[in-house]
Amino acid sequence: MGRSRVHLWFIGPAIILMMGLLIFPVFVAAFLSFTDYNLGNPSFNWIGVENYDRLVSRSTYKKMFTASLTYVLLVVPISVALGLGAALLISSLRIGGELYKAVFFLPVMATLLAMAIVWEFALHPIVGVVNDILRTGCDVGWLHALLSGSWLGGDPLQSWYGHACAEDFPLWLGDKRYALGTIAFIGIWQGFGFNMVLYLAGLTSVPRELYQAAHMDGADSAWERFRLVTWPMLGPTNVFVVTISSIRSFQVFDTVEALTRGGPAKSTYVMVYAMFEKGVKQNLLGIGSAITIVFLGFVLILTLIQVYFVNRRVHYA
Amino acid sequence: MMVRTNWLGEFLKHSVLLAGAIVVLLPFYLMLSYSLKSPAEIESNTGGFVGSQEIMTDRRCIKAGKPAEECDMRPIVYNYTAAFSEAPLVRYMLNGVFVTVSIFVIQVLVALPCAYALSKLKFWGRDVVFGLVIFCLLIPVHAIALPLYIMLAKVGLTNTYAALIIPWTISVFGIFLMRQFFMTVPDDLIDAARMDGMSEFAIVWRVMLPTAIPALLAFGIFSVVAHWNDYYWPRVVITGNRDLMTPPLGLRMFKSDLDGNEYGPMMAATTVIVLPLVIIFLLAQRRFIEGITMTGMK
Repeated sequence: MGRSRVHLWFIGPAIILMMGLLIFPVFVAAFLSFTDYNLGNPSFNWIGVENYDRLVSRSTYKKMFTASLTYVLLVVPISVALGLGAALLISSLRIGGELYKAVFFLPVMATLLAMAIVWEFALHPIVGVVNDILRTGCDVGWLHALLSGSWLGGDPLQSWYGHACAEDFPLWLGDKRYALGTIAFIGIWQGFGFNMVLYLAGLTSVPRELYQAAHMDGADSAWERFRLVTWPMLGPTNVFVVTISSIRSFQVFDTVEALTRGGPAKSTYVMVYAMFEKGVKQNLLGIGSAITIVFLGFVLILTLIQVYFVNRRVHYA
Repeated sequence: MMVRTNWLGEFLKHSVLLAGAIVVLLPFYLMLSYSLKSPAEIESNTGGFVGSQEIMTDRRCIKAGKPAEECDMRPIVYNYTAAFSEAPLVRYMLNGVFVTVSIFVIQVLVALPCAYALSKLKFWGRDVVFGLVIFCLLIPVHAIALPLYIMLAKVGLTNTYAALIIPWTISVFGIFLMRQFFMTVPDDLIDAARMDGMSEFAIVWRVMLPTAIPALLAFGIFSVVAHWNDYYWPRVVITGNRDLMTPPLGLRMFKSDLDGNEYGPMMAATTVIVLPLVIIFLLAQRRFIEGITMTGMK
């Protein structure tokens, strides 16, 4: 029978490519992470765990982990909350929901690198519109009073806005106190629409009867309905959205490479950028591979958390 | 139960969403606006959306020794001609199209037969292969970029189209998606085709492929968007050879070449690169959102 072996032709190419392009490279990275290998050098030395040792002891890599984790901890909660908020608002609208959905999804589609360059212009300390708008607000009496808190009787110079009006507004990407936050802002801007769409899909699967039942039981306010019905029913979506956003934000690269190159003072030195800089630009493949392995470990842990929760069919009781 | 429209509530919801929409659209507005205005208007943030479009003089044109009247033009013309003349934008776009289309076609050629075998053929080791697919789903291709780069460099393939395409030829996600889809196709359809004397190859391409069009469309949108926008991988394997650059990478080079205040041409180039996908998205919005969320797990 010809059919008995035809499957080999069907699965063969896929298996070969999976082995060669996905599994094998992981082993290559694991192997090289114990060496001082670089391209152009025919031989290499075993240096044991020296690369990993560096990762935990050198201040550069401490900054790397700090930058990556801070970025994830900024982007994930905010973009998930904004995604959920937008989905709840849009799904409860009588008209115009489709329009907002399209607008919020636009950044997900648009080339991130290109939009990052536009943001860089917008955030330019001198000619950028962001600081321009902020400066304009300083001259409008009531706005200044509102934003600086002086309408409550506080000293305007004590507040962030009042102080910035008196001195000047931040350099954003050029200031190590603001750079990572600014990169995170672009990440949130780009990604929350994706979370919104996932939540909208999750919301449509909440059975209508549950809201009626909640109504019968006296849950009348929107907040009660959310707390008793929507939120528990969104359990699986929450797990999915949080893990997907975490994995995606762990992989941040485009904005960092184009706008800050890890600076100023390594404040935006995230893992994928470090991998690129050490491995590709500086040809330090050993340390680059060690970062790769640690990075894979992080992603694997996040994925396993997801699988664990999805299998438990999370519904917060 | 009578539903009364809470007009105040509606108004508040729209205000919040509108404020969000303004922030979301700000960079798109700026990109278009800057691509139309003169350098002076851009730097002083004046001129509204389109600027005054006063005739300006192209300094580079004067330097090139052309007569002055040929060098006077409207800012919009200046920005867009400079974008196309300063950078091989057309080449970048063609590279982008070639690379994304090749990736998608190869992904389908590899994934479809595999998905068919995994869902409709019974053979020894099928569960092991499916397990391998699931396992590979855990590996983000971006994370293994460094070893892939080393492997390609070792065989001398960096700075080639092959380097841009090869790592993406296998989409375990595509296999997974197609397999789930084929599971819902009734076996009778395949048995009937076999009765008609069709070979297994013919079944894959003439029976399964047409039934899989909806899933393929979703996967195609996902794949094309991801690779048109991808910056990381081209940045790793293409070093300096402009002829091979994809749009995001070309744009990045354009940016680092600029002497600092050429915002107009820069934004014109950005517009040209961002606009195609945005327009297609706006035309086929529902499909895009479905496609990307359906495949969102990767």
